[in-house]
Amino acid sequence: MKVFPDDLLYSREHVWVRVEGDLATIGITDYAQEKLGEVLAVELPEIDAEVERDEPFGAVESSKGTVELISPLTGNVMNVNEDLIDDIGIVNSDPHDTGWMIVVEMHDLDELDDLLDARGYHDFILQETDGD
Amino acid sequence: MPGGITTLSSRKQTGIDRVSDWRLLPFGSFPAGENMAIDEAVFRVVGRAGGPPTLRLYGWSSPAVSIGFFQDAAAEIDLAACRRAGVEVVRRPTGGRAVYHDDDLTYAVVAPERNPLFPPSIVGTYQVISRGLVRGLAGLGLAAELSPGDEGSGAGTTGAGAGAERSPGKTAGRLVRTPPAACFAVPSRHELLVAGRKICGSAQVRSRGAFLQQGSLLMSFAPEKTAAVLHLPGGTREERVAALRARATSLYEHLPRSVTREDVCRAVVEAFQELWQVSFLPGGLLPEEEELKNRLFADKYGRTGWNLAGGKGDKGAKEKI
Repeated sequence: MKVFPDDLLYSREHVWVRVEGDLATIGITDYAQEKLGEVLAVELPEIDAEVERDEPFGAVESSKGTVELISPLTGNVMNVNEDLIDDIGIVNSDPHDTGWMIVVEMHDLDELDDLLDARGYHDFILQETDGD
Repeated sequence: MPGGITTLSSRKQTGIDRVSDWRLLPFGSFPAGENMAIDEAVFRVVGRAGGPPTLRLYGWSSPAVSIGFFQDAAAEIDLAACRRAGVEVVRRPTGGRAVYHDDDLTYAVVAPERNPLFPPSIVGTYQVISRGLVRGLAGLGLAAELSPGDEGSGAGTTGAGAGAERSPGKTAGRLVRTPPAACFAVPSRHELLVAGRKICGSAQVRSRGAFLQQGSLLMSFAPEKTAAVLHLPGGTREERVAALRARATSLYEHLPRSVTREDVCRAVVEAFQELWQVSFLPGGLLPEEEELKNRLFADKYGRTGWNLAGGKGDKGAKEKI
């Protein structure tokens, strides 16, 4: 079973969040990248774009199909991981760290309350049956 | 509007309340942008509002090229050739490669991810739908099979970009690895084959608890026209046409012309019904789907900027949908 870092929060849409003040770094979880398989393309918002909780903020195309990325938070995009341009493979190889996708300045920190901690996310994905 | 999809006043009125009930939208041939707007509208409403699981079989009112959501139109398509030939260009909500639509039968399957018919995995869902298509074609006397990567566990790494030149690239903030241009150029996963040649290619997108799978079944195949509008790798025009001809096939290469599109639709629906033990109830778009379809056409699929360059080329298309 995968290990999910304790210092991250997790959405039920398989997105992780690292909180530093009112900034949230966002990426997809190791579980998500494994389900997707080899990531071939990622579309992300541009800096200054607004993202909204429960709305798509981008998409990932993998060798299996396309999955939209659902934002767990509302806010403004402050940074986008340009390293993905040079090596998109880090979404697969290091999803919880260097494979991060965007940094968002949060509008409402209360939205964090709906996210799961590592144990809660672990339990959540146990309920999902993965046929891949 | 051609095809005449009627509008239902509410889901309740569809009578599609049981898990085993599916909605069957009426067959119609539409302009490229309208086809994509309908598929995405149904997909969004199923994901957000619990619309009924839906099968749609459709054609194209004029020849068109659909490109994958992530593709760069200029890199994949000879846009000048498309203009000269009157071929529409549209960006799909699903990924994958470019497809030339002329005499094909396109399908869209939309359902909640948690529909008990489908395993939760992307590949598992492909398999369920593909086996239905295989059964439908078998009913017409055509022996099709899933491409090797799709059968069995679904494990393996031969993906949509198999054989692709996967140099990382960037188009105005979009991060892309470029797969080869033509869907029918390379048999890979998520395809149906007849005698080793591709007859149907499919692509899937998932969001908020629903999936949309689109696929193109070739009634007849026009490799010359395909090669004329798509940028294909390698060789002379004749060699590219020959390569396409060697890799793809069509229904009418194997069945008489007396088999109509309606026959194929009927065979597919019957196969899905038998295999999935569901009922397909004829129905139209829900009011919210009709409204969203119109908005998606106005904001995205009816706009050249969106179709050629995606969100980066058409800021107006980034509105919340």
